[in-house]
Amino acid sequence: MSGFRLGKGGLIDRDRPLNFTFDGTPQQGFAGDTLASALIASGTHLMGRSFKYHRPRGAITAGAAEPNALVELREGGRKEANTRATMIELYDGLVAKSQNRWPSLNFDIGALNSLAASIFVAGFYYKTFMWPKSFWEKIYEPLIRRAAGLGTAAKEADPDRYEKSYAHCELLVIGSGPAGLMAALAGARSGGRVIFADEGAALGGSLLFEQEEIGGQSGLAWARGVIAELAAMPNVTLLPRTTIFGWFDGNVFGAVERVADHVAAPDHSVPRQRYWRIFAGKAVLATGAEERPIVFGGNDVPGVMTASAMRHYANRYAAAAGSSIAVFANNSSAMRTVRDMQAHGVNIAAVIDAREGERIVNVKGGKRVTGIELADHGSIPCDAVAMSGGWSPVVNLMCHRGARPVWDEALAAFLPPNVGEGFVAAGAAAGKMLLSQCLADGAAKGTLKGRVPAVPKCRDEAYQISPLWWVKESVGKAFVDYQNDVTVKDLPLAAHEGYSHIELAKRYTTAGMATDQGKLGNVNAIGILAEATGKSIPEIGTTTFRPFYTPVAFGALAGPFTGQHFQPVRKTPLHGWAEELGAVFVETGLWMRSSWFPKAGEDWLAAASREVLATRSGVGLCDVSTLGKIDVQGKDAGRLLDILYCNTFSTLATGKARYGLMLREDGIVFDDGTTSRLADDHFVMTTTTANAARVMSHMEFVHQALFPELDVTYTSVTEQWAQMAIAGPRARDTLNKIIDGVALDDNNTPYLAAREIRILGGMPARLFRISFSGEHAYELAVPADYGNAVARALMQAGAAFGIVPYGVEALSMMRVEKGHVAGGELNGTTTAADLGLGKMVSTKKDYIGRMMAQREGLVDAGRQCVVGIRPVDKSDRLRAGSHLLKQSDAASMGNDQGYISSVAWSPMLNEWLGLALLANGRARHGEVVRVFDGLRDNYMLAEICDPMHFDRESRRLHD
Amino acid sequence: MTKAAAVFTRPSPLAAVARAGRFGADRGAPGVLLSVVHPLSLVTVIARSGKSKATSEVLAGLRNATAMWSGPDQYYVKSSSHGEGALFAELRKKLAGIASVIDQSHGRVTIRISGEKAVAVLAKGTPVDLHPVHFAIGKSALTQMAHVGIHLTRTGEDSFELSVFRGFAESFWEWLCEMSLEFGYQVA
Repeated sequence: MSGFRLGKGGLIDRDRPLNFTFDGTPQQGFAGDTLASALIASGTHLMGRSFKYHRPRGAITAGAAEPNALVELREGGRKEANTRATMIELYDGLVAKSQNRWPSLNFDIGALNSLAASIFVAGFYYKTFMWPKSFWEKIYEPLIRRAAGLGTAAKEADPDRYEKSYAHCELLVIGSGPAGLMAALAGARSGGRVIFADEGAALGGSLLFEQEEIGGQSGLAWARGVIAELAAMPNVTLLPRTTIFGWFDGNVFGAVERVADHVAAPDHSVPRQRYWRIFAGKAVLATGAEERPIVFGGNDVPGVMTASAMRHYANRYAAAAGSSIAVFANNSSAMRTVRDMQAHGVNIAAVIDAREGERIVNVKGGKRVTGIELADHGSIPCDAVAMSGGWSPVVNLMCHRGARPVWDEALAAFLPPNVGEGFVAAGAAAGKMLLSQCLADGAAKGTLKGRVPAVPKCRDEAYQISPLWWVKESVGKAFVDYQNDVTVKDLPLAAHEGYSHIELAKRYTTAGMATDQGKLGNVNAIGILAEATGKSIPEIGTTTFRPFYTPVAFGALAGPFTGQHFQPVRKTPLHGWAEELGAVFVETGLWMRSSWFPKAGEDWLAAASREVLATRSGVGLCDVSTLGKIDVQGKDAGRLLDILYCNTFSTLATGKARYGLMLREDGIVFDDGTTSRLADDHFVMTTTTANAARVMSHMEFVHQALFPELDVTYTSVTEQWAQMAIAGPRARDTLNKIIDGVALDDNNTPYLAAREIRILGGMPARLFRISFSGEHAYELAVPADYGNAVARALMQAGAAFGIVPYGVEALSMMRVEKGHVAGGELNGTTTAADLGLGKMVSTKKDYIGRMMAQREGLVDAGRQCVVGIRPVDKSDRLRAGSHLLKQSDAASMGNDQGYISSVAWSPMLNEWLGLALLANGRARHGEVVRVFDGLRDNYMLAEICDPMHFDRESRRLHD
Repeated sequence: MTKAAAVFTRPSPLAAVARAGRFGADRGAPGVLLSVVHPLSLVTVIARSGKSKATSEVLAGLRNATAMWSGPDQYYVKSSSHGEGALFAELRKKLAGIASVIDQSHGRVTIRISGEKAVAVLAKGTPVDLHPVHFAIGKSALTQMAHVGIHLTRTGEDSFELSVFRGFAESFWEWLCEMSLEFGYQVA
């Protein structure tokens, strides 16, 4: 188990051992380890199984691009699938499980897929599971999903918190290697606000593992000095453990900070992750370069990894990938691995230099490298292979807004595109392969103003590459894309079958898909496709780069807005009063409205029916505070209202209220409500609850864009007033008990009066004699903080008359009894005439919607219009949404005559009543129609009638 | 006639949730202090056409009340020393024919946040750049935080006032407290 942990060196703390389990086996690592480094140090190279062939796999990298070493981290609600062992900081008690294997990582039945590999070629699914079609959903897909796949998601709720935050800076530096450090230092010294982010647990980038010399000291010591200077500057924010995942319009960057992923369970006060939106004046891409694998037989056997990963594990984590290693490279940088591993006392079994024509054609071993076979038929025993196929600048972010990277022949790499001064690349990310160039480039790009800071002297190592996209003599499978099990054979096959465009080849072979998005494999894939098609690499081009750079948890994107906090809750000023009386609340948009007030043993229907009967026989009190209220002032206030509404308001007398109907520009009814005139230049509009905000923005548009010359102001006062409807024959008696001064009567407060009054000994209030229930009714508005107290006072005042609180259910019953239209009828398809309100439409003035309302389709006599409907058999229950047919017709689209828009039980008439939209409905009162309820698949007969079911003469309004 | 005295007290809309005490992380001094500014008089003033200058002049001359920007030619005027309707009445008189005056004292709830971490807490909700160079003392912004419209004013180097529609106040308060957890917070 042990023996691969080096005796000295590395940035681990040997005094702080950490216990963890992998697949249930207890293991130990040290503080500073990643899960991958701890496993490698203990000799565990086998970390997972591949996607399609279930091949044994180990870590190929030591960083963010890792395609293989994906594990399920943590358990229960904290479980996270497909996390990269190379990025998981080890903590005490860490629990991880391998994925995509059954029954165990060591013995995986799915590996049999490898034996049938010849049929699992590119396009396999498309070719094989074509027929019969009905098998797709029930047989093929479930089978494939079980066999091929990654980890499983947690089923329990995540117990941890997530946050979001905005940040602003003059300079964002992404990546903290040599170029990033110099860029941040330069920016910070020029005085700008600098945000310095790196996805790693520690800042320093490649200097955390490369043996460099800068300014006469080790690269790491120099880096630490710079980081300390930055940390002490008030204008610098350091964001380690933060992945900048996307670049968006306005130079906004998305980032995820892993605040507490490195502890078993975060303290409740700390979020697990934080999602940042960073507004950057300028950004420097200092993300370095990614080392490419080489495509050769067995290049996925655990123990094969990139050369830089091998020295990363050894130098930073004191974990040797093997005791005797072979190095296979097409460029000079891999010599660092030879040098470093030798310094650690690891045997170098062979150096195979592709530039000299040497090749590895096969790696021997199943779950661990045992040796290599060479093109010259020689074979060499070893237990690990370091490979280097060259370096690809990490250009991803710079390509997120559509620009494509640019091929550089000498470096055999894609360089970042020029996207302007706001976002520039520096160092290896810009193709600078010498350390001195990286430092100088970082300093130049990070300087916001003034002189570029001096760059320390350093030791350079020349870089030279001779491209090798794949080893043609390969024996066995040679993988291009590890995560999707795409082999070197798949790409020419895709080209041969007509999918040679890189975007098509990607989808046909799946190269470049899934969680790693081809970070390691794509350039090799492009090279191979170029060879297969006889095109150049620039001609082939790249696939599209998109956010996210690495996977981002949904939790981070949702932030704190989950569960109860998914959206804000809006409470009325009478919420407390309603709660005291046992109200059941219903969500209406964001509002919580009192729906009914049950007494012991009552269901909603019993409670609401009782509330209606009590209101219609005595008095009821209803919270109507949610209606939108807009205060309109100015000398042109009446004129604006005339434009907004299809009826006229400029003629409304001061002290009076009027019902108004507002159309959309296309002539369809938009909203309705009463508007009252409080003074010559002062109106108060009400809107429906649902449309309050929309009406306000409509007003702003109409005023600002269409009639800017009007001298008028408007502002929402919805929340300023607690508003209650007091309805019923004893409404006035009740109000008279709390009103100051002269009692209400028909002279001082006739129907549709609007008055500013005082109640309860001086409290300002507004009183409107308007009615939605059809009763003699008022709406009383008081400043919101007084709402609960006034409602309580009214309950006390009305006690002698049997006052009841009533909710929106009772309100709805009463409005259907009265045939008043509401949301079911104002549904975005109806005209004023359809609603029976054609007479309101002015013919003497212009208003929004006038022209379009005259279109022939909107004035057609056969249009569906509002009618009343009641069942022939009084025991039948009408259902909203049911369709209407002629009595003898079958249910079909062609026979459809309309539908029921609203239904309510009528406590007054003891039957279910409805409102419906019926073709040519006004001419059909008295007709019996067939009602088809498709949801419940039943029919009944119903009679069409006037919408006003109850008190057709509206006597009760005045009684 | 019911007794008037009981009715005229203005209970805070946040009385049920804003309990005094020390909450969140406990690492020395709390990072932020939260309090509800209640009761407060708050009046919207919107200049009528061509009366921008006249309006701002009247507002500049106010004593015992502070005008805060709340949109083009639009202000919130606040005061803690006026009784029910008094600020509204005063402004309506002073601005007659110049500006529309609308009482919003009950319609919005004002929350004060101060302390070393106040900016960090607010940055979790608003995209407004709160650096003192861009958002100086006395400056106001209309913004959105936690899906709710907020009027934000800097009242000191590390202190701000947020006003929110009354109906959203509880919901917003809960969010604000959660965002303050990591710094530790004190509710006055």
